[in-house]
Amino acid sequence: MAHRRAAVVALTILALALPFLFAGNRFYAFILGITYLYILWSSGMNLLSGFTGLMPLMYAGLAGIGAYTTVNLVMKASVSFWLAMPVGALAAAVVGVVLGLPSLRLRGFYFTLSGLVIQTALTMLFVYVPQFTAGDTGISQIPPPSIPLPGRTFPLTGVWLEETLAVAAVLTVYLVRWITRSTLGTYLVAIREDDLLTEALGIDVVRNRVLAFFISSLIAGVGGAFYAHYMGFVSPRSFDVLTSLNTWLIVGFGGQGTILGPIVGTLILAPIPYLLQELYLYKDIIYGGLIVFTTIFLPRGVYGSFLFYRRTRAAARAAASPKPEVARS
Amino acid sequence: MTLEAILLNGLAVITTGLVVGAIFSLVAAGVTIMYGTIWLPNASNGQFFMLAALLTWSMVIGWGLSPFLGAAVVIAGAIPFSLLLEKCLIRPFYNVPNRNIVYFIMTLGLAQIFAGAFTGTYGQWTDNYSIPAAWPGALMIGPFPFPRTRFLVLLVSFSLLTGLFVFLRLHRVGRALRAVFQNREAAILRGVDVRRIYRFSFVLAMLVITTGGVLFAMAYGFDLTMSWTMAIIAFAIMIVGGPGSVLGSVVIGMIFGFTQAAVSLFASPTLATFSYLVVMLIILLVKPSGLFAR
Amino acid sequence: MTKLLETRGLNKSFGGVSALKDLSIHQDMGETLGMIGPNGSGKTTFINAVTGHLTLDGGEVSLEGKVIRGKRPHAIAQAGLERTYQAVRVYAQLPVAENLRVAALPHYRRLGYSNPLDGVDVLLAKLGLKPKKETVAGSLTLFEQRRLELAMRLISRPKLIMLDEPVGGLNPTEIREMIQLLKDLRTECGLFVIEHTMKVIMELADRVVVLVSGEMIANGAPVAILQDANVIRHYLGSIRVTSR
Repeated sequence: MAHRRAAVVALTILALALPFLFAGNRFYAFILGITYLYILWSSGMNLLSGFTGLMPLMYAGLAGIGAYTTVNLVMKASVSFWLAMPVGALAAAVVGVVLGLPSLRLRGFYFTLSGLVIQTALTMLFVYVPQFTAGDTGISQIPPPSIPLPGRTFPLTGVWLEETLAVAAVLTVYLVRWITRSTLGTYLVAIREDDLLTEALGIDVVRNRVLAFFISSLIAGVGGAFYAHYMGFVSPRSFDVLTSLNTWLIVGFGGQGTILGPIVGTLILAPIPYLLQELYLYKDIIYGGLIVFTTIFLPRGVYGSFLFYRRTRAAARAAASPKPEVARS
Repeated sequence: MTLEAILLNGLAVITTGLVVGAIFSLVAAGVTIMYGTIWLPNASNGQFFMLAALLTWSMVIGWGLSPFLGAAVVIAGAIPFSLLLEKCLIRPFYNVPNRNIVYFIMTLGLAQIFAGAFTGTYGQWTDNYSIPAAWPGALMIGPFPFPRTRFLVLLVSFSLLTGLFVFLRLHRVGRALRAVFQNREAAILRGVDVRRIYRFSFVLAMLVITTGGVLFAMAYGFDLTMSWTMAIIAFAIMIVGGPGSVLGSVVIGMIFGFTQAAVSLFASPTLATFSYLVVMLIILLVKPSGLFAR
Repeated sequence: MTKLLETRGLNKSFGGVSALKDLSIHQDMGETLGMIGPNGSGKTTFINAVTGHLTLDGGEVSLEGKVIRGKRPHAIAQAGLERTYQAVRVYAQLPVAENLRVAALPHYRRLGYSNPLDGVDVLLAKLGLKPKKETVAGSLTLFEQRRLELAMRLISRPKLIMLDEPVGGLNPTEIREMIQLLKDLRTECGLFVIEHTMKVIMELADRVVVLVSGEMIANGAPVAILQDANVIRHYLGSIRVTSR
């Protein structure tokens, strides 16, 4: 137990320190920033797909709502990013629940399909409502967030921006971790395993799913807002169905239903399009191929499979060497 | 608007509606057969549609084959391609209980692969693809010229749809397909080899979708975005018509086809697609078994 | 006196086929009620309708005088009515203790416990599952899983448990043990038992209702039911009276 906690602390410190280590090289710092963004995003999706068993294909669309709301508030209404971002996240969460709630009744594939439909509709909305989104041209020159200090405002650029993303990512992971250990987390796992049984035992399945949906959409919105202000540019393409799919891939490839899974998945997958510049053209083929590969060969994901094999080996060892029954209180 | 204009527009809508509707019906029929029988929701159906269209284009423009020959080659090629796909990707999951979700995600990944491949290859050469008319000239319906190729496409589509319908109702194998769809366990008890039926349905459905793509390429010009649009439309038709119901696919397919034609007259075709999404969502939430549920 | 369970005029049809026809069944406090009938007669449908898993087309349902018709299954469970399944259902991927923790979480505060796992050990001991506390539920034998299923209901201190074929799939020794277990449970909560194995009904039930095609064709003490000509004609002719 003690070294589990030490490892968590160490990882946190490492996550917060990395931006400073990479400060000199803007290219690698950028990749680090994107990585933090995806860690945040995939942890949010993991809450739904990994812990509730629902695959939310409209995730990117919700991130887009968070992004566009925040950007409009900051650039058109001169609101501070720190006020605009929660509003954007809330907008994403509300839209998520309103659109997702009716489809929560649907089983399995139909829920996924409705998510796809809503995502497509949202992308269309982003393209065809230019007052809000500037359509396909997108919105550029988005300013980075700034910290209001006495006297002047301090824009977060360079290493400070990456550090902000690091903090956001770490906080999100801690939040998701806390939720999974709470009563809500237990209920979500039970719902994922057998939702009818869970309802019959006295647990309000709909309410818990809505809660999970709300929190997950909130995180999507937060991620969207940070994405917009980090990249400085957004367009409907940033938040289309492929983005939802690739976020799912990161979660699924890393290991759904575990806390480290999305982190592992992000670390492996997110840098690929940037590190391997020549492969950028083939990004879709690689990601698509990985999705097919993961569904067939690695349904538990990289980290999930590691945990599974560790557990089965431990069980096999325990069965092989019988120990006297230890009384437990 | 003059009477002549109304007549021309009206005939344009009707003929376009018929042709587009027939092709929609074909693709949706393929999708619904796959989902109804194997429980395979194929999210890459639009990409296969696009692949068929692109390959036909390559045959005609790149290799100089006549459109008829090009079409035949592509359709014939679909058979070994489908068999390979079935063996590698589809068959492993026949006994998995919640395979519909796995299939859906996997085919989404497959769709992404194809989309990327298309952009990387065809997309680098040109944005718009069109094949010269296979049967040049036009039939005159009053003042309205109906291109002969499109008329031919219409005839072929309807024949194919009728044939499909008859096959499923009357032929031994077709009836076995429907038996498996309606009740897999009962079909097994009646001695139906379910795995072979699965393989057959997959190939049949792929052939239907491929033919849809080929026919579309012969009738109209197209671009790469059609793949995702077609996929959404096909799913919408399947859901609204009722999964597994070919009749539903045809009826709803024709309705959507006419809607597309009519809406394109006054507004952007995207509006039509948007309306299909709304209808699909409504049906999903209100009557998920579709309008022609068995 | 308020009845434990009161249902009146229950009606339910599926696409034109009537599964429950104007059914009125009640269970008194302190009475163990049995339900028998041929396959497809509506027994499980009855449980599903009473516990909120199916919406009724008509009729009333109340538990200890409080109306529960129209409530969602989780609210009905919170009100004190639980049910088990014909094909046993537990969280196969979770260990036994975790199964019980999930079952306890929605209720423990209402019952005045400070910790969801209070009383779990006693319950496990009573059902002979203590040594399997950390075993994954999927690795338990069928009999153990059925007992776990019972434990998961008992932990919420229900007023009534509706058991759908509780000895299905068990061998004669296990059936005997299960009957004894259920007999002991009668003092803690009401039991409603659907069964095909008549031995269970004979030993447990104070009263039996016979359901055929959604209608109650007989209602009385087990011995009398066995001799009822109507019952024999519609049902008993085809099943075994005692387990071999």
